Amino acid sequence: MISFVLMVIFSVRPSPIVDLKVMDNPNDEGGQIILKWDYRKDADLSQISYIQIMRIDRPGTAPVVVEELKPTARRYMDTDLKNGHPYRYFIRVWFKDGDYIDSAISPPVVPRAQWLHKGRIAALIILLLYGALLIYYLKKARRGERLTIRPIAGLQAVDDAVGRATEMGRPLLFVLGLGTVSDIATLAGLAILKRVAMKAAEYESDIIVPCFDPVVMAAAQETVKQGYLEAGRPDLYNEKNVYFLTNDQFGYAAGIDGIIMRQKPGAIFLQGAFYAESLIIAETGHSIGAIQIAGTSSVTQLPFLIAATDYTLIGEEMYAASAYLSRDPNSLATIKAEDWMKIIFIGLILVGAVLETVAGVTGNKSWSLIKTFFAGGAQ
Amino acid sequence: MKREIPLLISFLAGTLIVISLFVPHPPFNKMEETLNSWYIIVSGFTFILGIDSLLLYNWDKIRRKGKDWPFALTVILSFVVTLVWGIVSGVRTGHIFSTNSTFRNYFYLYIYVPLQATMFAILSFFIASAAYRAFRARSLNATLLLITASIIMLGRVPLGNAALIPVLWIAVLLVAWVLLLEIKATTSASTRVGYLLMLILMVVIAVPLTKFLYGNLSAATDWIMDIPQMAAKRGIMLGLALGGIAVSLRIILGIERSYMS
Repeated sequence: MISFVLMVIFSVRPSPIVDLKVMDNPNDEGGQIILKWDYRKDADLSQISYIQIMRIDRPGTAPVVVEELKPTARRYMDTDLKNGHPYRYFIRVWFKDGDYIDSAISPPVVPRAQWLHKGRIAALIILLLYGALLIYYLKKARRGERLTIRPIAGLQAVDDAVGRATEMGRPLLFVLGLGTVSDIATLAGLAILKRVAMKAAEYESDIIVPCFDPVVMAAAQETVKQGYLEAGRPDLYNEKNVYFLTNDQFGYAAGIDGIIMRQKPGAIFLQGAFYAESLIIAETGHSIGAIQIAGTSSVTQLPFLIAATDYTLIGEEMYAASAYLSRDPNSLATIKAEDWMKIIFIGLILVGAVLETVAGVTGNKSWSLIKTFFAGGAQ
Repeated sequence: MKREIPLLISFLAGTLIVISLFVPHPPFNKMEETLNSWYIIVSGFTFILGIDSLLLYNWDKIRRKGKDWPFALTVILSFVVTLVWGIVSGVRTGHIFSTNSTFRNYFYLYIYVPLQATMFAILSFFIASAAYRAFRARSLNATLLLITASIIMLGRVPLGNAALIPVLWIAVLLVAWVLLLEIKATTSASTRVGYLLMLILMVVIAVPLTKFLYGNLSAATDWIMDIPQMAAKRGIMLGLALGGIAVSLRIILGIERSYMS
């Protein structure tokens, strides 16, 4: 009898699962628990058929199988759990011979929703800093202090472009690209459109705005109408000049090319989000000799627009355009705050580069504090 | 009120989205998703506006027999044919893109796709003409662009290393020829000296540059793409991110109101 008991005891396999860690998923809306585990170094994984994640919802109740995983898995996230309720887990390892063994049961873990995404603290600090700078410059603007920003060649050329088209007796073409109204580039394009529409109204020129998106079309109609109204020429506004063309990328490019070739606009504004069609439109515009002012947030399209158009608003120049053209002190305050943020970022990049170099040379990771702080945003 | 209500909606929607970025707790966790769903529903309805605009614009042209009115007629006919064919095909086969759908097999595969491919293919010619203008070595910047682009283009093709020496030397000779023409044409002595210095510099660096690149072309291409190109790109992206925050704040705070009349 004793020999039989000893045989059973010594034949029991130890669980290959070690270091089972169960924790509430950080920075989430709750209801999620993360499990991480490892295998014993001497465990023969080829003998394992699969593993089961087992959950005990209440003490004394039978465990439920949450998921079956391959033995290569080291991590699992249990979802759709009740916030504030404690859960315990263990892992059941099934061997190819039909036997199984359970790991140790974890202590109870309670899933909770968090009020602050800790991985985004860096972004929050940047936003608060930006907000503080913005308030400072808004106060300055309201005190009547003059805020100046550097001249932007592409924007200085707007008046010339509208004037030239008027002198030639040709219309203006404003292309807002493929963006929707939720794209910042499209919103910035609409702001520029308003200034161009005002100039067009002043010079009694026609402005054609073929749109890719119906919502953008509705916004563009309102924008052009407002521009004509502010210029004191609402009688000149023609709603039919702001119309929907198509919702197909190359159909849109073909349509714009057709308008360019048939109506021969004197000035073409390409302001918005552009993709592969940017060069097709810009080169067609160049072929008819129109003065072209482009601006986009699509970094991959910038080289094409720089090569094919007369003026290109690079990066944030496009976003600054409405403030630059309107000279509104409140808008200029946002640009001043942005410029200071840029200086702060340049400083952080320089300090970060030095600290990273020191960390690389000394092998001491604690020098990478700036990188570690900002990498939190990637979580 | 006509202005205040849209401003209030913009402020609330913008602020809630910003808060939801930092607060994962309900009800903020689903805020962006909910607002996006609303946007999709609204934009779905605006397609009616879009179609109305497209048809009215073209119908007006036909009615007035305006310039190029046959194009407007083509648009309306294409629209009607596509719509009717699509609906009939969809009803008949159960799905507009099922394998036995005539809409898919004739209209989509043999008209729509080739038309799109044609427009995309035109891009190659436009790239060539734009590149020609951009790469004309008329200034130091354009010359640097030409040399860098030549290295990148050669580094990205399988025969690049073999073709390196002839291509690079043809490029150098072409640039030298253009510079000589510029020296001849210019009347300003200082510009002439500038072009001459550029010419000498180019000839001096051409030999060691070719020697270095031969065998190291792939590494040189990767270095240009990973270091100077990436640095410039990231600089622009950083500016875009900050500019995006500025535009967003202008809209949220009601400073930027150009989208409403």
